[in-house]
Amino acid sequence: MDERDTDRLPLGRRRRTAASALIAIVVALVVGAFFNAPAMKKTAMEMPFGGARSFKLALVGPLATVSHWLFLDRPARLTAEALGRPAPGPPPVQVVVRPSAPPSGKPGRVDPRKPLPRPYPGHPVHLYIAGDSMAGIPGMALVNLSNKTHLIKPLLDYRISSGLARPDFFDWPAQLQAQTQAFAPGAVVVMFGANDRQGLQTASGKVYWFGQHGWTGEYRRRVREAIAILQDGGVRRIYWVGQPIMPNQTFNRQIRVINDIYRTEAARHPGVEYVDSYSLFSNGRGDYAQYLPGAGGQMQQVREQDGEHFTYAGGLRLAQAVMTLVKKDWLSKNGGTTAPASPQPSAKPSPAATPKP
Amino acid sequence: MLFPTFTFAIFFLLVFVGSWLLMPRQGLWKPFILLASVVFYGWWDWRFVFLLAFSAVANQFFAKAIEGTATLAARKWLLAATVAVNLGVLGWFKYYGFFVTSAVNALHAFHLNADLPLLRIVLPIGISFLTFRVLSYAIDVYRGTLRTSSMMDFAVYVAFFPYTLAGPIARASEFLPQLAAPRDPRRIDTSRAFFLIFGGLVKKMLLADYLATHIVNGVFTTPGSYTSLETLVGIVAYSVQIYCDFSAYADIAIGVSLLLGFELPDNFNAPYTAVSVQDFWRRWHMTLSRWLRDYLYIPLGGNRRGQIRTYVNLFLTMVLGGLWHGAGWTFVFWGALYGGALVVEHRRIDVRKARFKRRRALPEADADTADLGFAAAAPAGAFADASAAAPDSGGSAAAAARSPGAVELDTRPWGGGVWPRVGTFAFVTFAWVFFRSASFGAALSVFGQLFRHWGSIGAAVTPALLLVIVVGIGIQYVPRSFTERAEAGFSVLNPLLQGLVLALGFMLLDVLGPAGPASFLYFKF
Repeated sequence: MDERDTDRLPLGRRRRTAASALIAIVVALVVGAFFNAPAMKKTAMEMPFGGARSFKLALVGPLATVSHWLFLDRPARLTAEALGRPAPGPPPVQVVVRPSAPPSGKPGRVDPRKPLPRPYPGHPVHLYIAGDSMAGIPGMALVNLSNKTHLIKPLLDYRISSGLARPDFFDWPAQLQAQTQAFAPGAVVVMFGANDRQGLQTASGKVYWFGQHGWTGEYRRRVREAIAILQDGGVRRIYWVGQPIMPNQTFNRQIRVINDIYRTEAARHPGVEYVDSYSLFSNGRGDYAQYLPGAGGQMQQVREQDGEHFTYAGGLRLAQAVMTLVKKDWLSKNGGTTAPASPQPSAKPSPAATPKP
Repeated sequence: MLFPTFTFAIFFLLVFVGSWLLMPRQGLWKPFILLASVVFYGWWDWRFVFLLAFSAVANQFFAKAIEGTATLAARKWLLAATVAVNLGVLGWFKYYGFFVTSAVNALHAFHLNADLPLLRIVLPIGISFLTFRVLSYAIDVYRGTLRTSSMMDFAVYVAFFPYTLAGPIARASEFLPQLAAPRDPRRIDTSRAFFLIFGGLVKKMLLADYLATHIVNGVFTTPGSYTSLETLVGIVAYSVQIYCDFSAYADIAIGVSLLLGFELPDNFNAPYTAVSVQDFWRRWHMTLSRWLRDYLYIPLGGNRRGQIRTYVNLFLTMVLGGLWHGAGWTFVFWGALYGGALVVEHRRIDVRKARFKRRRALPEADADTADLGFAAAAPAGAFADASAAAPDSGGSAAAAARSPGAVELDTRPWGGGVWPRVGTFAFVTFAWVFFRSASFGAALSVFGQLFRHWGSIGAAVTPALLLVIVVGIGIQYVPRSFTERAEAGFSVLNPLLQGLVLALGFMLLDVLGPAGPASFLYFKF
């Protein structure tokens, strides 16, 4: 395939042959793969445990090693360092699993049975909202509802594709600990689970697959750990939101297993309240519904096109259910003290989740 | 399969090699590219492939029937059936829930309970673009400006993967002739293709996604958490985000097609440099504007039935264009805003033209052919390149210039210069708020926040954010000749060097871009 120099475009731009284009594409992809090998390895490592992950790691693992030997991973790392960005590639510690936190005895822990302090103007209760992408829209609606009270200061912190299953992807226990210190929430809303239907790796390296007997025990331990971290950080109320009913039957069965863990753990821990979103998004027959009547009786689309995530109307429906509980606990006229509703923060919240005025 | 992923890169490499190897044998190439397109589309959900197949077979059947029918009345009925089937499919998948909930809620307002079935319908990705493509084929065959193609050619046109999900809306009359003969493997505009693809990735990953995550999503979903200045910046940022996101997809689609030897129509031409709303629609989503003009506005009568009817046609076209974007009243209102603005601008020009005619005795024929941009009443089926008709100044002053005496009538509603550009951008940005918001209430909350919290700047407004916004608007003011010179310089480089430059670019994108690729905004339309 000869190139025809006479075939020129405006300003002397040359057309090239398919062979030339192929060379450029292959060089771009191969060299680009070596440049970006650490990031590709990180992406592969974050995949759910299983055959696809192993296959991808088998491909990109050696690529990353060769890239490192040939110093081809340095430009990306140096560029990232120069720009203050996180270095591409997997973190030095690949598996982050802690033993269960002790149930009590930490200085920040307050007996959940004691009356809750009443927020008042200038001293709002800090409400920290954490979770995965399912928590995003309800969290936003909850932020809007909180802002209207002027007595609740919200902080929304949701991370797409995250959960309690893979601390190597996003370390929620560490994040919860950091945010309890930085934001000093009196109340916390958490919503996990949609991404947790996958293998769990224990501290010993053993992987429990979803559905195995050991999986439930390990996941339960992680839920307890999260509760302990929050309560040890001074959190007085935890509103643990379960996952809503799902359109896919397999997914739905898995969600029910996970919700059952949340429900039973909430029942065991004073100060933790389970929010049943499964029922909230079922229709009158207990089936999945994409449309449900709102407060005024008007039909609303409550789930997005994917059938799983919430529309804003759906998020608001869930947020109102949570807000009802929050108001009952913190803003009702019965009882309560006038002490500040949230302890003083000891550090700044993480930049990604800085509370807004 | 998203464009900015390694999966797509591998997919495209395989398709590229296979496509050019099989190109000389069209009997093999066409099934190959069709299969590749089906894999690409089915990657989202394999069930959607049946929709593509149905659309291809049904529209080919109707087009053949129209072509083979002699009487005009029968042809009209067949065309009506074609349109009804396609809009029926679109309506079922995209608007069923919207219409049923609207009906139920309207009845509820009168204390009437209607137990209409609300089903969970999965929206096939890119269905609106598909509908426009196949309708252009049937209508052009009806008009006699296009002959039917073979089933295989039409199937390739329906499914061609670069534009399947979010355009550009290549018409059958633009694409099918390119299937008539093998593309020449010695004449690929690789440099422009690489620039378009890389530029698209930069716009998507570095600009659009940055703005979405750093301010836009927050301002539009939790407006009460932002200061007035943050809200204002967030609204402007959304204008930049949606341009960078949508034009990025179009650029990548055009670039990928160029590498396969096919030319797709441009979809954007620096829209935020527009000096009027008319001018904006000559520059924004140009293939949609052309489609609406030629297949909706002109069949409604265009500007051939008097001023009032012209205004009504304009308004209706834009309202329906708004509804095309999404099944919601905010989209209808967004379209109505543009319809109203176009009517105002046309009225302004008509008044000016009438005065001009009185003074200069402008011949009637000249007035009818004046360039009115989106509303130009081109002959049915004619392909008029709106951007070519619009000079860089953003308007036309041509009509009277053709008259003896040559005293120019400025057909730009607000003239040229800085202020019309600023005003147009402000209007477009205002309208985007309704486009982006989940409801009217949400839109009003965003506007309300503009007046509530002017005490402080707010932490979300950072120098980096402002820089991204400036870059997103500024790139539209970069002269095309500048980019062409860069493309020309790149085109003479050795392919190895081209590959290395691209690899470095990919590395920078990976370092600077978001952790995971986000979906393109226009997929849902």
